[in-house]
Formats: sequence, C-alpha cells, structure tokens
Amino acid sequence: MAKKIAVYGSYEAKVHVKQRYWKKRIDGVKQRYWKKTKRTKKVEASGRYEFYGKGKDLYKATVKAHRFMPKGFVSVSAEKFLENPEKYGLEGEWIEREVES
Amino acid sequence: MNEKWNLKSVLGITDMETVKLDFDKTSFKTVKYWALRTMKWFKLKGFIILKSSDKCYHVVFDRKVSWRMNVKVMAWVCLLSKHRKLTGWFIMQCIKEGSTLRVSAKKEKPEPRIVFRYGSQTNQIAEFLAYRRLVKNIVAKLETLQSLQRGNENLELKTPCFNV
Repeated sequence: MAKKIAVYGSYEAKVHVKQRYWKKRIDGVKQRYWKKTKRTKKVEASGRYEFYGKGKDLYKATVKAHRFMPKGFVSVSAEKFLENPEKYGLEGEWIEREVES
Repeated sequence: MNEKWNLKSVLGITDMETVKLDFDKTSFKTVKYWALRTMKWFKLKGFIILKSSDKCYHVVFDRKVSWRMNVKVMAWVCLLSKHRKLTGWFIMQCIKEGSTLRVSAKKEKPEPRIVFRYGSQTNQIAEFLAYRRLVKNIVAKLETLQSLQRGNENLELKTPCFNV
C-alpha cells in the first residue's frame, strides 16, 4: 500500500437537524422513523481524511479539504474526492484544538 | 480558486510498511536508546529521529515491513519501555490500521525536523522524506495562497469608497 496524506483535526460544521416521528405499521406496532429537516445546527466534531494518489491531485484535494469537513474517518483517492467532495464531507471550517495523531 | 483557507488542520503521513514511533515527553537520550535497541533487535537497517517539539520525538526506521511485523515492533517497544504516551499512540494506530506521523505545524508546535540519522537511509526513510517534501510543498503553497488572500482583503478594506 502506498503512503497517504492525512488531514485531521477538529472542525465546526453545519448539519441538518433530524426529527423523529412515529408511524403505525400494518401489524399495529408503532415504528419510529427519522426525517431530515431543513433546519441546521452547528456541531463540533473531529475527523480525518486519508488521501492517496498523484501529487497534483493530492494538492487539490488538500485545498478542498479545508472547506469540506470529513464525515468521520474517510480514506479516499484524491481523484475521487475531487470529483465529488460533497459525498465525503460537510461544509464547515477547521478549528484549533488538541488532537491525537 | 477563490476558497477561504485556514491552516488549522494537521497534515501527516500515513502508511503500513514503515515502522514509526512517537515518543512524547521523553529525553533525546532515551529516544536514541530505544531506536537503537529496536533497530538491532528487529534488523531494521537504520533510523532517523525527528524533533516535533520540546522533548517530543518521532522515529522512522528504514526497512520495509508488513503491517503485522510493524505492529509487532511497536508493541515490543511499548511493552519494554512502559511508555504511557507511546502505548496510547500505538493503540490509536492499531485502530486506524496504519501509523501516522505529523508533518505540518500543530498549534504552537513547529514542523518536525531531523535531528539524528543512523545506518541505512535508502529505503523507507528516503520514501518518507520524499513524501514529507511533497506535504511541505503543499503547506507552503497553502500558506502563500492564504497570505495572498489576506493581502486582497486588506486592499479591499483600504480602498476608498467613491460612491456619492
């Protein structure tokens, strides 16, 4: 396996608030469901990107990673990330906090 | 590219085939002792020591190993040295299935720099240093872009408004 560039830290991102609701099933059981609302809230979390690929793609992906915060632990090819960054991250910004490597 | 950058994230190098160790709050003498002992015991050919901050050091070994062997070496050092911070770091690497060492600056900590070299430097160390150069170039480019952006913002603020 080739070497990867790790971009990690703590970030603040806006996420859609989820709302729960119940629906009665045919068998009479009340089932709980979640729906995504339009409302958003700011959350603080930590995440990590691990990019692999060519030098130019790695550079572009690292720049993009400063706008799209990782959804947890994301190991992806830099080329694929550049094609669709929304798939792997949420819009937000990095904040300075102590993180473990 | 008119995006806003802030360099608050940390950049590092991850891989499975290079044996790496992260000694926090340890003297250089102790780090050198463990690096030398590990290199001799597992025949790792050579190593470099990087100083990441005051009393914090990273060690990178030269021989290419499998992930299984890598975990074996890291666990051996943790067990014998009884180093709490190193053990914590080791557990984290096991969870991620790949060991990472920081390359960019982090908060007030500067970029790690090489302070000691020993033995062969041609295999994994050469590869690690080449990749480190690539990451450093990326960081330098990002910093240039950031300073340019700041300059533009200042210019916008300083430009007088002629609207009547």
